[in-house]
Amino acid sequence: MAFVEVRGITKTFHGITALKDLSLNIELGTVHVFAGENGAGKSTLIKALTGIMPIDNGTITIGGHNTENNKEAFDLISYVPQELSLFPNMTVAENLFMPFEKTGFSRAIVSKQSIQKEALKYIEKFNIHARPEQKINEIAISDQQLIQVARATTNKSFKVLILDEPTTSLTTNEIDRLFNIIKNLQNDGFAIVFVSHKLDEIFSLGTYVTVLRNGIMAGSSLLDKINQHDLVKMMSGEDVALDKSFQPDIEPQETVLSVKNLSGQCFKNISFELRRGEILGFAGLVGAGRSEIMQTIFGYLKADNGSIEYNSKPIKLGRPSHSIKSGIFYISEERKLHGILPMLSVRENIGISILDQITIAKTVMFGKERKLTKKIISDYDIITSSPEKKIVFLSGGNQQKVILGRTMACKPKILIFDEPTKGIDIKTKVEIYRIMKQLAEEGVSIILVSSEIAELRRCAGRILTIYHGSLSGEFITKDVDTKTLVGAILGSV
Amino acid sequence: MFNMQQAKIESNNGVLPLKHKQNFFSRIASLPLAGVAAAMVTIFIISCFLSEYFFTIYNMTIIARTLAFVGLITIGQSMLMLLGELDLSLGAIAGFCGVIGGILMVKVGLNPWVALCLCLLLGLICGLVNGLLVTTINLHSLVLTVGTSSIYGGVNLVATKGVAITGIPNEISFLGKGAPLGLPVPFIIMLFVLIIVAFIAVKTTFGRYIYSIGNNFQASKMLGIRVNLVRVCVFGLAGFLAALAGMLMVARLGTAQPSIGATWVMSPIAAAVIGGVATTGGVGSPIGAIFGAIIICVIENIIVLFGVSPYWQSVVSGSIVVLAISFDSISKRWLKNN
Repeated sequence: MAFVEVRGITKTFHGITALKDLSLNIELGTVHVFAGENGAGKSTLIKALTGIMPIDNGTITIGGHNTENNKEAFDLISYVPQELSLFPNMTVAENLFMPFEKTGFSRAIVSKQSIQKEALKYIEKFNIHARPEQKINEIAISDQQLIQVARATTNKSFKVLILDEPTTSLTTNEIDRLFNIIKNLQNDGFAIVFVSHKLDEIFSLGTYVTVLRNGIMAGSSLLDKINQHDLVKMMSGEDVALDKSFQPDIEPQETVLSVKNLSGQCFKNISFELRRGEILGFAGLVGAGRSEIMQTIFGYLKADNGSIEYNSKPIKLGRPSHSIKSGIFYISEERKLHGILPMLSVRENIGISILDQITIAKTVMFGKERKLTKKIISDYDIITSSPEKKIVFLSGGNQQKVILGRTMACKPKILIFDEPTKGIDIKTKVEIYRIMKQLAEEGVSIILVSSEIAELRRCAGRILTIYHGSLSGEFITKDVDTKTLVGAILGSV
Repeated sequence: MFNMQQAKIESNNGVLPLKHKQNFFSRIASLPLAGVAAAMVTIFIISCFLSEYFFTIYNMTIIARTLAFVGLITIGQSMLMLLGELDLSLGAIAGFCGVIGGILMVKVGLNPWVALCLCLLLGLICGLVNGLLVTTINLHSLVLTVGTSSIYGGVNLVATKGVAITGIPNEISFLGKGAPLGLPVPFIIMLFVLIIVAFIAVKTTFGRYIYSIGNNFQASKMLGIRVNLVRVCVFGLAGFLAALAGMLMVARLGTAQPSIGATWVMSPIAAAVIGGVATTGGVGSPIGAIFGAIIICVIENIIVLFGVSPYWQSVVSGSIVVLAISFDSISKRWLKNN
């Protein structure tokens, strides 16, 4: 008998089926990958497995206990959410062992020394660069991510560890650190559930894969028995070309944007030119200053020094409204923080960007708004039961499509994409590449910021690398090999 | 042990979102203002049974007049709450502008209409000062306005030494006392203001900016909205409406009492929350807030009519407010589960 047995579970939300008659087994000592596109039902399945959300039908048996009448069985499962959910103003040690009574400390009084001593063990085991008494907001994001994993293992009774896309904000080195930890846990006899979009991760780590599509099991297999193509086909239901190039088929034209000696918070002396109809790649490690540079060009962050010329005319720095008026748009990687207006409807979220087109004398024409938003919803394939649905209830991929759709509706001249495919499934990814290519060929200039070298190679004709807040290289994609690029990113050139 | 299937690919036509069948009741219940409107009607009907004097023209006029003053503050406060801000100095601004108006009319002998306009301007400036301090120095509005509330209230006392200014000219008294067709003038003014502000909130670009900022400040900045300008403007609007309420009260009383506005701080906030405006911003509308204000005014009225001892009045009215908010929250959860 498998350690976790899921039999025929079903869950519906507001009339939308999120999971339908799903069955699977999770064995101790294996890494079980959940794969599938956004909105396929992975998060719902995890919520069911962790007991956060009750299911409508079916049974979940954990360690021989039926969870329906034995809720404590859920304690055998530890969960690492995709987004950081630490207490930023508390220490590393406190974060690791919260809530204390579940991690073997006394219920009433917790001594600082004892938790810090215990914390050291985890810090060593997980190779985290931090001291136990440091506050969470004083340490690097990647270490925070690892602390989040470590925290899940401090629950003494756990047997199954669920990791929901843990690598999205990690760089190659840190991913290796994490994978070693996962392999050790696997060898120690724990079961790991690993949710991921990234094919290389799935194949290097997983024992077994379960693919979800639209809430039903689209397939499951031992990973030894299939190759990348089979998996992609299972995930998307169709063949997707994995190596097709999406570089624009036209030659870049005149310079539209020239950035001169731009300095700001955590970067200095950035100069480059962007030409019409090109996709310019920006590569660099997380924290190298890529987002800060882009946000400064857009005017969201203040520049300390330097100037930007748009069509040979200087533009005013520090004013997003000016940039937008001249056709410069920035799509942030922080969808929640910088993108969506959570408690407003999909219609209002789109409408806020296209107010010029739907207002007469500053008054919103609802009929026009409905018509335009409906068009954007269907053009960009946004899956929502109604335009009036609050955007928080949409899946991440669909939120991204809303942001994309409303930006495109403004007819941008220059588009800055900051990690547009972070946490996004393969099919939507390719869709975004296709949109970028098409826009570039229509004469839009695109800056693509990405941590994925493969993505940059497929889309960008020219790649700039950033190391520690300065430009470390400029390459023509077809004349450079990946090794040189990685070298420039790591600062070894 | 595993389901040793080969990579089995099931054909799948996609589970399309089913159109949820809604019955009449749940469709009504899902309208944005349904909860608070139902609560309002219920409390109104219960009040009719509790006292025979409740549903009389005379009593309705009293409620309408009370509502007018609280309502004006509520409209301003609810707009601020949509942004995620609060202004605790609105009551103090009302009192401050009221007595300055009294001084200008009686002691300086200014034309009452000129004095009225100057006071509205003063209210606008007080609100703008709050807004500018919040946005430029990046202060928390709740804490800042506790401070400015003391300043405005203190200047009021300095100017009056706590003594009411009597002898307000008769030219403006109809603004407070008049009641054409039985509708008190302050109530008509409040309705007029409500229509304009609700239109701004729901139908205009500026209104969309307010909701956007209340929902996500950073994202609004990224969308190119001049967030600080919008915030300052709404603070100004709230100050202006507070001054208007204060001046109408002066016109109604015929004297400029330093104590005007002292009780106008908390109930507008409660009214807005009852009416579905979230304290965190971005959710609700000024119309809902006025519904909330009606509930509070009716409750305070029926308590008096029902003969509750004056000592117990605030206990009872407070309890009903707590009940009303709980009812709203519980009914929302019920709707979500069904």
